[in-house]
Amino acid sequence: MNVRSQIAMVFHLDKCIGCHTCSIACKNVWTDRKGTEYMWWNNVETKPGTGYPTKWEDQEKYKGGWEKKGDDLQIRSTGKAKVVPNIFHNPHMPSMDDYYEPWTYDYQNLFNAPESDDQPTARPVSMVTGEEIAVEAGPNWDDDLGGSSIYAANDANLEGLSEQQRLQLSSVEQLVFFYLPRICNHCLNPCCVAACPSGALYKRGEDGIVLIDQQRCRAWRACVAACPYKKVYYNWFTGKSEKCILCFPRLETGQAPACFHSCVGRIRYLGVVLYDADRLEEVAKLPNDELIEGQRSVILDPNDPAVIRAARENGIQDGVIESAQKSPVYQMVKVWKIALPPHIEYRTLPMLFYVPPLAPVQANKTNDTIDHVSENLFHDIDQARVPMRYFANLFGAGNEGPVRYALAKQKAVRWHRRAITVGDVDRATADRMLREADCTAEEAEAIYQLTSLCTFEDRFVIPPMYREQAVEMLKDPHEHRQSVGFGFSAGPKRGL
Amino acid sequence: MRRPKNQQNEPKTAIPRPLAAAAAVLAWLFSSAFAQAQDTPDYFRQNCMNCHTIGGGRLTGPDLKDVTKRQTRDWLANFLTNPKAVLDSGDPYAQKIFEESRRVPMPMAPGMTRERAEKLLDLIEAESKLPESQFKGLQISTAPFTAADVQAGRDIFTGRQRLASGGTACIACHSIHDIAALGGGLLGPDLTNVYDRLKGRASLSAWLVAPGTETMQPAFRNHPLKAEEIHSLVAYFEDAARYRPADPTGDRVTFLLLGLFGAAALLFAFDGAWKWRFRGVRRPLVDAAHKRGA
Repeated sequence: MNVRSQIAMVFHLDKCIGCHTCSIACKNVWTDRKGTEYMWWNNVETKPGTGYPTKWEDQEKYKGGWEKKGDDLQIRSTGKAKVVPNIFHNPHMPSMDDYYEPWTYDYQNLFNAPESDDQPTARPVSMVTGEEIAVEAGPNWDDDLGGSSIYAANDANLEGLSEQQRLQLSSVEQLVFFYLPRICNHCLNPCCVAACPSGALYKRGEDGIVLIDQQRCRAWRACVAACPYKKVYYNWFTGKSEKCILCFPRLETGQAPACFHSCVGRIRYLGVVLYDADRLEEVAKLPNDELIEGQRSVILDPNDPAVIRAARENGIQDGVIESAQKSPVYQMVKVWKIALPPHIEYRTLPMLFYVPPLAPVQANKTNDTIDHVSENLFHDIDQARVPMRYFANLFGAGNEGPVRYALAKQKAVRWHRRAITVGDVDRATADRMLREADCTAEEAEAIYQLTSLCTFEDRFVIPPMYREQAVEMLKDPHEHRQSVGFGFSAGPKRGL
Repeated sequence: MRRPKNQQNEPKTAIPRPLAAAAAVLAWLFSSAFAQAQDTPDYFRQNCMNCHTIGGGRLTGPDLKDVTKRQTRDWLANFLTNPKAVLDSGDPYAQKIFEESRRVPMPMAPGMTRERAEKLLDLIEAESKLPESQFKGLQISTAPFTAADVQAGRDIFTGRQRLASGGTACIACHSIHDIAALGGGLLGPDLTNVYDRLKGRASLSAWLVAPGTETMQPAFRNHPLKAEEIHSLVAYFEDAARYRPADPTGDRVTFLLLGLFGAAALLFAFDGAWKWRFRGVRRPLVDAAHKRGA
């Protein structure tokens, strides 16, 4: 057992209201620099939809992630043979059109326009060319718009849906959509790190945050092509690639990352988990239907004395182990099994998990009245407007089982709380629901607490980072102080 | 750029000047370094015999038999060491031989010194006394050439027939009237009218015995042409002289067009081979939707 610690995340999609506050918080902190205009380290997608960049989930086009070939795990976008012919150009990368051409508005015109009969307007101006542009795409162009014939209809997760199910998704009174906020998954088996020819990407040993060394990056963009989630971006101005850094400077000072902190719907959870690094390769090679359970099995019980002992042996601090014991992520992913990894079939073992959202049930329109096929408007999961198959493609590597389990448990918690607070559901029905969902009343209560009544401290259990000890591994602070003093990374020098 | 003056009125070839200059400099370094080591008869063979004979009659330059009796040794040595200076000084005898040589000035031989000039004069004097000098030159017959001779010459020119001593085929550096499409090399001049330029069989064959330019000398010093090869080549050049030289600008246009069309054809071929390459995702989605009328 090779125990390591990893900061993991859960996004509770049933609570996401699609306000994009997270995206804006991130943008304001990290990506309003020159060269980063088009980047959204955090973005929110309307699903069904093609996302950002367009159809990022279609790996037939982008060739991201890992591929199991025989007994081997190989990067789809590159390899020893592909490196040389693609040395100046990775062929399967999103173009600017697939992201979008970033734009701003000519706000000055509102103040400076000459007096006339009309109101002055602020016209869109491209942030690339500086010219006025006709905006035709954005990072979430079909925001709040279900069933669009271009974007929603081409969602890669619609694969395997019947023609009728597809039609339903775009028909009146059947329209449905939900939101999928995305950041870097800080995967356990990151494809971007494996693909980098310069060795610029690395996964931080103490917390598993995946970072790009801006000094070593040589702009090969192999990471951009390799990441199946398209969460590495190329900065055209600095000539380096950039990605979500999970606000590590905030984490190191005990604060939640900006997007987590600002989340209005309080959908985001963050905590440390302990995992067994020795088993990663074996798990990443499992067949599709065993991947979810395999990844859960890699995550270790932080209360198990054997795990604690092995963690200490590996230099994991007691503070981190205690933090892992209180981790909300561990509860949701491993204990309650209501949080699922996105597209684990890419085999990068993402450490951002999603609680799938409950959707309203289908309806029929006869004459002028609308009848719902189920009386349980928001609770009948197999009659939901979002087909189970769709969720299975997104969160279950094509398997409905784990998704149905997670949704059934959420449904049971609702019935349980309904029986307690409203009382229009009898206790026996609620208990039957809980039994069917493999859930006890205590567990349901705990889920309810963490979902609905969670405080800031419940949601973000940030481990102490012990940066002072990490720093001591690289240099002796006393020596550093004597050579340059604190506050400098390199000493001041005489001359220009 | 140093060039023999008898090629002055050649059509300008398309060699880039720096390249030609570099070649000339290299050739000069090469020949001068070696000239010191040669003995006088070899020096004469390589540097003088393309224009002069001793007792073989005049070629471009006069027959040198008994030249020491026609002029003083001192004048001759002066002239050898710097022919241009003597000619420019308006010396009447120099003017006279200049006119006789169809106004082809005597070039300064590589590695020429006062000492070497004296040795050459000694050699000429000695050879003049012999009944049959070794520098009489190649005596080529005056009988008409046959079609077979011309064909053999063409084969040698184009390299179809290798040179016996391993020299480079003419086509590597020269073009001629009947070389198709891309023509021959552009380093040397077009040889269609070389027969006329060098005034007939005798001078032409003398030239071929020991080509004297800075570029040809090092290439052929160790690979001299055989008498039969010279015979065939002269036959070919004599035949070629009946044609007008190929127009080099025409060749260059053909070459350019060939390049352009070749590049275009390659691009189309690549485009075809990678027809299904990745060209973006969003635009095709939108275009397809518009096509459906959505």
